[in-house]
Amino acid sequence: MDLTPRSPDAVAAALARASRDGLTVDPRGGGTKSRRGLPGSAGTVLSTAGLTRVVDHAPGDMTLTVEAGLPVAEVAALTARDGQWWPQAEERPGATVGGVLAAAASARGRLRHGPVRDSLLEVVLATGDGRLVKGGGRTVKGVAGYDLPRLVCGSLGTLGVIVQVTLKLWPRPAESGWYCAEATAAEAAALAARVMAETYRPASVVLTPQALWVALEGAAADVAPPAGMAASEAPPGLAGAGIVECGVPPARLADLVAGLAADGRDYEAWAGVGTCLVAVATAGDVAAVRERALALDGHAQVVDGPPGLRADPFGPPPPGLAIMRRLKRAFDPAGVMSPGRFVGDVQEVAA
Amino acid sequence: MSTTLPAPAALAAGFRAILGPDRVLDGAVERDLYSRDGLVTDGDCALVLLPETAAEVSGCLREAARLGLAVVPRGSGTGLTGAAVPLEGGVVVSLARMRRIGEVDVANGCVWVEPGVLNLDVSAAVAHLGLHYAPDPSSQAACSIGGNVGTNAGGPHCLAAGVTVQHVLGMEIVLPDGEVLVLGGPAPDPPGYDLRGVVVGAEGTVGVVTRVCLRLSPLPPAVRTVLLDFATTAEAGSTVGGIIAAGVVPAAIEMMDTGMIVAVEAFTHAGLPTDAAAVVLVEVDGSPAQVEAQMAVVERVAREQGVRQVRVARDEAERALLWKARKSAFGAVARIRPNSYLHDCVVPRTRLVEVLHEIQRIGREHDLLIVNVFHAGDGNLHPLIAYDRRDPEEVARVLAAGDAIVELCLSVGGVLSGEHGIGIEKRDAMALAFSPTDLAAQACVRAAFDPAGRMNPGKVLPAGSRCGEAALAGREVHVPDGAWI
Repeated sequence: MDLTPRSPDAVAAALARASRDGLTVDPRGGGTKSRRGLPGSAGTVLSTAGLTRVVDHAPGDMTLTVEAGLPVAEVAALTARDGQWWPQAEERPGATVGGVLAAAASARGRLRHGPVRDSLLEVVLATGDGRLVKGGGRTVKGVAGYDLPRLVCGSLGTLGVIVQVTLKLWPRPAESGWYCAEATAAEAAALAARVMAETYRPASVVLTPQALWVALEGAAADVAPPAGMAASEAPPGLAGAGIVECGVPPARLADLVAGLAADGRDYEAWAGVGTCLVAVATAGDVAAVRERALALDGHAQVVDGPPGLRADPFGPPPPGLAIMRRLKRAFDPAGVMSPGRFVGDVQEVAA
Repeated sequence: MSTTLPAPAALAAGFRAILGPDRVLDGAVERDLYSRDGLVTDGDCALVLLPETAAEVSGCLREAARLGLAVVPRGSGTGLTGAAVPLEGGVVVSLARMRRIGEVDVANGCVWVEPGVLNLDVSAAVAHLGLHYAPDPSSQAACSIGGNVGTNAGGPHCLAAGVTVQHVLGMEIVLPDGEVLVLGGPAPDPPGYDLRGVVVGAEGTVGVVTRVCLRLSPLPPAVRTVLLDFATTAEAGSTVGGIIAAGVVPAAIEMMDTGMIVAVEAFTHAGLPTDAAAVVLVEVDGSPAQVEAQMAVVERVAREQGVRQVRVARDEAERALLWKARKSAFGAVARIRPNSYLHDCVVPRTRLVEVLHEIQRIGREHDLLIVNVFHAGDGNLHPLIAYDRRDPEEVARVLAAGDAIVELCLSVGGVLSGEHGIGIEKRDAMALAFSPTDLAAQACVRAAFDPAGRMNPGKVLPAGSRCGEAALAGREVHVPDGAWI
């Protein structure tokens, strides 16, 4: 049985029923992030496809309030009319606003624009037990009360279903462009360091095994090829049976990339940010990549892949697990929301 | 309420065993001094604790837990909402002695600092590396990083750069039971819920932060600052909106109304036009080309709106003078009346002008002088009421006017606070902005960190906001094999 509620109230009602009946629920936006977490844990799919209203668009205030099932591409089209955009959001075909926020999927321009968490001003969450809870506020600035938007962002549907959000918009840059230079892993790291030192706030500096890619934005005079680079398309997306996302301190990224290159892996590394996506094919690959990330004070999670790659998708549990469990219990007392999405060390659970 | 507690001297023994005799203050004068912050309300302080390490903080929190005492963390005490005021006879944990700045991690663009470090000292410590710490509250020479984290502090340059939470990569926090956790750090997106993001802005109700990892930003290669002088508030407001509509988000856009201009000019002699209805201070930064392009837009929009004078700061000295005028606004008002009550709320930027007029009406209705200096770019208003605290009748009018301002901001779609926080001041107003269900959810967030409710009680949430019993005391949820949550 799948559900496609047509309103926030209907989502809350569906979750209240699920909690009462003990039915597990797997919220789904565009489905672009659904191959993650422990395999075999999916319950009833609750689609946000029926939640696509634009509630309030205020270009002069640079805010946009929409229901969570609206595709990110529609936000892009809507905001472009006023020369604005939502630069922090990863834009995959089919991705929805709620899905991007639930997965905390930040765009490649994170180096300049920050993580997608920073763009969420207000959230309405249908909790696992069917309450509609609002947190944050609709203005571009505000500190009233506990920061539910940040808590919900990246919670992967484990606390409830994001049904409506207010986003902070920004003016589109006058000019933007990608530049590329073919380079070995070592050459790319050296070139990246030079570009980072010589360019004020580039949008992206991306390392792949055969090239360095740089995105620039701003006034026309600032959007020109860095020395040794030529205008290009954006880098192609990483392809693989599965994808591991590593996060390491930015200063350790060059070490991580050197190790991955030595192992012959395909990757996309975001200089200055510390995020590195790695293509994997086997559970052994996952373990090997994670070992490298952990050794560099980082972490590694399987963010996409078939069940065979997701036996241990998250690695060691983070500090504060007891607090996280209390939060989970408060928002989803019956434990019906996306069970298994946040997974880790069995022993921790026993403890 | 303190009458039900043992005498402070008897409470102090356990804390003295941890901190030594000199860093536990139980004298009446000290307890009185630490029972207030920048709000008018005083509290009731049982003891003042002055730890110097996270281990000492942890020991103090364990001892407080053993005694069942409330714990109130305190930075510099510059907060304006009463968040650092001890209610219920709690112990005040002052972090003022924890002021070490760690080695600057240039490669990761961050630095770990202790909570007692003053905001301005961070930027001073890293300027030689071409870096700065972006959030810049007007009190930045006095306020502490720990307090900034507690309130999610802002400042003029948060328009483009973002508020404190966007510049805190991680922290070390001592939970109410004494456990020490490190949340976040330089590596992006650690697994699990974003607890770091919850701690920022929680006003000391979830634990005591003992170390903070601050993101450092490169100093912009070019900066230009301009003062725009307008004959009407409407023209000034339209200029602010016009700049944003033209696709420019400057580093800062600040506005002062005529009452504030007069007060500030008398104090700083910065050459402000005292006959203007409003001045707008705009700063743009970035690459030289970007600064050039943005300043052209700012000037064009201002002229279209009938600006009387465009004063571009010719050098760093003039720029510093203009900013000094802006940031000393609250001190300047002290020359008019002995006390001032500074408000903080946010309205949609497009409603600024009408809200300013309404605030003047509220001032007239309550027979009060209200002057305004504020972060116009993000609609963050700071109406300031000048008054005399010794006149109880006037104090009553000040509080009534404050309530009217809060209701006004909410009625146009605004929020309760842009950067000062809730504390005691706006605790009860939270019920105007949030439903009981919303507040219960917030109470759950707090209780997840502090199930016993001893961290800074009586702040942020109105009385009666409770995390449902079923939620936290409820049955254990089945966790699938291999799952954390």
